[in-house]
Amino acid sequence: MRFQDAARDARAVVYAGIQADPLVARAAELLADATHGQRILARAVMNGESSDPDAWRTMFPTLFDAALGDVDQRPASDAILAAALAVADRGEQVRSQVRGALVEELTARLLARRVGATAVRRERRILFDGVRAEIHPYDVTVERDAAPEAYDCKWGARGINADVLYQLDDARTHAADEDERLSVGLVVFDATRSCQVRLDAQTAPHEGTSIVTLEGLDRLAEPAR
Amino acid sequence: MVETLQPVLARALEAYARLAELGEAIEDEWSYVNDLADAWRDRLSDVADARGPEPVPEAVGRAVDRAVGEITLIDDPHRAIDWLSTFPQVVLLAVGEAP
Repeated sequence: MRFQDAARDARAVVYAGIQADPLVARAAELLADATHGQRILARAVMNGESSDPDAWRTMFPTLFDAALGDVDQRPASDAILAAALAVADRGEQVRSQVRGALVEELTARLLARRVGATAVRRERRILFDGVRAEIHPYDVTVERDAAPEAYDCKWGARGINADVLYQLDDARTHAADEDERLSVGLVVFDATRSCQVRLDAQTAPHEGTSIVTLEGLDRLAEPAR
Repeated sequence: MVETLQPVLARALEAYARLAELGEAIEDEWSYVNDLADAWRDRLSDVADARGPEPVPEAVGRAVDRAVGEITLIDDPHRAIDWLSTFPQVVLLAVGEAP
């Protein structure tokens, strides 16, 4: 089993520009340290229609109302709101790409806290002896001899589909065929309940795939239990 | 007069039903839309059953009504499906529940 850079086709070049957008890095940095409630705020604003920050502050009293929330978290909530509004302001098509890139960047940053930044790579293919290579690269990989990992990332539960589940499970089983243990996971910036509903309707194998949802993102940064 | 949680969540559920109807326009996602809506409706209803008579701060009622206002702005069925997951999370957080 070995990792390889994905081909730099036209799609990859365009998407690399999105990934390199400073707004993606800023939002990911904020969300890496965010509470669950702040991550819901980011999801709502980046999905939302309203551009008035006060409308969102009204919607999230536990983040912005001193009587109901933790005032110490208020500056972070304001910063997340500002970044999320900047993403939402990009227009429908671009915001969709930025949201996808953001989940990848957030995943990479959280993983780096556990394994170190040098082990975390982006947009990588995984090659196995005698197996035709998948064209689509994995969004984030952890590349180290002892415990390699591969992740795909989705903004919402609706992004969970047969293709991504098969691709992750195929990588895991091909690695096992080579007596390697490859951990695979799908990171979804959405609630566990929504992901479970989506998964319940899937026949593609996913028992060996770890599903990391909005509630459990910090697990990416923590040692395996 | 202090409002209780029951009518606040009833307004949320009513708006949520309209959102689900909009999402159903995507035929390929009809089952997902309905399963998703059922799952979150059950969660919101459980909270209403357990805490319905509880008085809520004005800010909480305003928060849920503002969230209802946000989803009434949606006219795109794909966006509606996004919000079928997002809206209940916003409402539950506002009323002090974990999604």
